[in-house]
Formats: sequence, structure tokens, C-alpha cells
Amino acid sequence: MSEDHPSLGHDCKEVLERAQVFLDGELLEESERLEIQEHLERCGPCYKRYGLEREVKVLIARLRGAQPCPRELRSRIQELIDRS
Amino acid sequence: MAEQPADLTEQDKRRFQENALPLLDSLYGAALRMTRNPADAEDLVQETMLRAYRAFRSFEPGTNLKAWLFRILTNAYINTYRKRQREPRKVSSDEVEEFDLYQALKDHDPQWDETPENIVLDALVDSDIIEAIDELPEQFRMAVILSDIEGFSYAEMADIMGVPMGTVMSRLHRGRKALQERLWDKARERGIVKGPREGSVRR
Repeated sequence: MSEDHPSLGHDCKEVLERAQVFLDGELLEESERLEIQEHLERCGPCYKRYGLEREVKVLIARLRGAQPCPRELRSRIQELIDRS
Repeated sequence: MAEQPADLTEQDKRRFQENALPLLDSLYGAALRMTRNPADAEDLVQETMLRAYRAFRSFEPGTNLKAWLFRILTNAYINTYRKRQREPRKVSSDEVEEFDLYQALKDHDPQWDETPENIVLDALVDSDIIEAIDELPEQFRMAVILSDIEGFSYAEMADIMGVPMGTVMSRLHRGRKALQERLWDKARERGIVKGPREGSVRR
């Protein structure tokens, strides 16, 4: 598949779904990991799509801890448990 | 409200305070993205912590306390708060084809991938991301919150949401596609891109 034809073949779709599993830190069989890696190395659009998935994942992770528990709620819960 | 759970010892109580209370920030953050409003999120977190405290005896020490608390949070949300919520525009996930962010970027600017920066993603601010997540159908929203914000594994998510792992993966995959479509919409609304109208970039 060349840069000029960035549409997705059946292979690509499957590889990208498996690549997402890899990106999520889930364990893959060594053979499967290699298969994904090889595909990404020779398929430019898939490599770019994989990069985008990673970028979006990092973007979303920015919200982790962005809105902490309000102090009044924390004290209220603490108090309810202390009193019990 | 927090009547003394008869079978909890002082030691249990201390253990709960030391281990569960530090997870309040995570629980509140997730509750806020589930309910999408601070008042409901506060009620949900308080209810979750009281339920968890009363049931703390059934928590097996040494296992994953965060996942255990998130399961209680998720059940409480589904049983109580969801009924009050108005769901955003329904996406029947089966009939909708998947959004392709790569193609959208390519159509917007054929050279987008020749620079190391991503002008679209880099220009989005936290409130764009929050709005995009809040617009997702509930099951997709939950999957994205648990995985991409809280970092749970597929197995933990299956346990928390009470669905098989295959379902977790499918919701996550489709949820991310739907999220990318909304992020693209945000970029368009804010004039970062002049891309095609919503929903027209499919693969």
C-alpha cells in the first residue's frame, strides 16, 4: 500500500485494531507483536494512524487528576466515616 | 447515614481511611465524566464511599482496591444516576461507519504529516476534550474514561463494567473513533481546521 492510496485494506484494519491493544499495554504474543511491527514498518498510512492513536491517547490522559475531589466533599466523607 | 457497619473493626476502619480515601481524586474525576455535572458527581462519590465502607469486609486485602471501588462507583451510577441523565445525541453504533482522523487530516492538509507537530491536536484545550468525552454515548464514554483516563487494563474494565473482554475492546475501539470525530468537530468549531462537515469523513 502506498502513500497515495491511504484507504484501509482488510489487513490494515485488523493490524490497527491489534496495534491499539499493544498501545494499551496489553500483552500480545511475540509473533503477533512482530507481525504488527512489520506491517507498520512497510505501510506508511498505518504507521501514521498508529501515531495518531498514540497522540490522542496522550491527549485524553491529560484529564487524569485535572479535576480533583472538592475539599468539602473530602471532609464530609472523612467525617461520615470517622463518626461511624 | 453512615451507620456503624456491625462487623467492621477499628483496624478495618483505619485500613479504609488509609487506602480508599487517597483514591477520592480518581473517583471524583471519573464520576464527573460519568454524570457530567458536579452536583451529581459529589452525590455519586459520597454514595460510593459509604457503600464501599459498609461492604469493606467483602474486599479481599491484597487485591485491587481501585478496581473494587470503581466497580461500586459504576454500579451506583448505572442504578441511580443514569436514570436522571439525559443522553446526548444517540449514536447507533452499528450503522455508523468509523471516523478516520488520518483521512480527515489528510483532506484538510495533504502535508500535515510532514511536520512533527500536530496542529490540530496541539491546539485543543482541556475543555474541548471534556466536551468531546461528555458527548459520547454512555458505554463508549465509560470505556474511554476507564482506559484512557484511569489506565485500567482490559481485564479490570471487564470486571468493573461487568461485560466480557471482547465487549470492552469493541466499546473502546468504537468509543475512540467516536471521540476522534468529536475532537475533529471541536477543532472545526474553533476554526482550527476548515475541514469537511461533521460526519462526512468515513472510511
